[in-house]
Amino acid sequence: MPEKFKFAFMPSASCGGCEIAVVDIDEVILKVAELADIVYWPTALDFKDKDLEAIPDGGITVGFFNGAVRNDHDVHHAKQMRRKSQVLVSFGACAQMGGIPSLGNFWTTEELAHRMYDTVPSVVNPDGTRPQLKYDAPEGELTLPRAMDRAYALDQVVDVDYYLPGCPPQVKWIVAAVEAVAKGELPPKGTVIAGTKAVCDECPRERSEEKQVTEFKRIHLVENDPEKCLLEQGIMCCGPATRDGCEAACVVAGQACRGCFGPTDNVNDMGAKLASAIASIVIADTQAEADKILDKLDDPAGYFYRFGLARSMLGVQRGERKDGDE
Amino acid sequence: MKKIEIDPISRLEGHGKIAIFLDDGGDVAEAYLQIPELRGFEQFCVGRPVEELPRITPRICGV
Repeated sequence: MPEKFKFAFMPSASCGGCEIAVVDIDEVILKVAELADIVYWPTALDFKDKDLEAIPDGGITVGFFNGAVRNDHDVHHAKQMRRKSQVLVSFGACAQMGGIPSLGNFWTTEELAHRMYDTVPSVVNPDGTRPQLKYDAPEGELTLPRAMDRAYALDQVVDVDYYLPGCPPQVKWIVAAVEAVAKGELPPKGTVIAGTKAVCDECPRERSEEKQVTEFKRIHLVENDPEKCLLEQGIMCCGPATRDGCEAACVVAGQACRGCFGPTDNVNDMGAKLASAIASIVIADTQAEADKILDKLDDPAGYFYRFGLARSMLGVQRGERKDGDE
Repeated sequence: MKKIEIDPISRLEGHGKIAIFLDDGGDVAEAYLQIPELRGFEQFCVGRPVEELPRITPRICGV
């Protein structure tokens, strides 16, 4: 029997949903176990940092990295995984483009910390205690990682070979990736292992030749026709600019797409692409009419950059703001 | 004082590490649980449409 592959799964600033997606491949996990040994996966098995350190460079056949890069410990892990993995896969929306944690990039890290430790209603912290990078406890020294200025995508920190998009990635694409490794049929470097069109292309809802929107409505104010295009019913949907491959799972379940698969090929900034897609279907004769329609789109930043702010050209909030500013 | 570090705490979602300090007799003098992660849900949920939050907050923990 040929030597088994070695797989490693590294969680970073993430929620663990990516790792559940791995378990969701059900009985295929048995094939994975035949094919590969898992050499690092702390979310599922009892691995420690030292176990990863002990793996020689190139000793991991395929490393799967999930989560955004949010602190210097994440950077260390990203570099370790790059060095030790022959193939490094950016796994899930957070690693690919920042994901939900990169919504925090609209604020400075200090602003996030101020909210978390000083003003959030569930926290009582009259002394303004904050986590310290180094703390001299009576018994000895304790350290914490340094939070970076913002959340980063994995490929903004290290070189990445492949992307498995989604929040979380879909089982069929995880299986496709594992099969490609098993057969030694790896696609060209940089491939996003998913569809190549837009979510609208696999969405089963009916839409007219030319989408037209004359009013945006919040979802609880619409009697959602399950047969009809959500955008044409005035419900903000990210389908037009989002890569397909999820079989329009959210839309089929009655919820609009929020773009977790990231942009289609050759799109630099998903939010800009979405803004352009939305602008092109708004039907207005005058600027005032267009403004009136778009004013109803109550959180464009949160729709256009729900999963992808780390990759946006907008960069990061750097200015100081006062409490209460938006 | 001897220090035992458990880093990371495994088989859970999220990030944590534990430092245990042992006294000269080898007994536990003190133990510290540390949560090294910062994401900022407390801030970036503020101002978003409430009907969107069931699609954002599940990403606090997806397990």
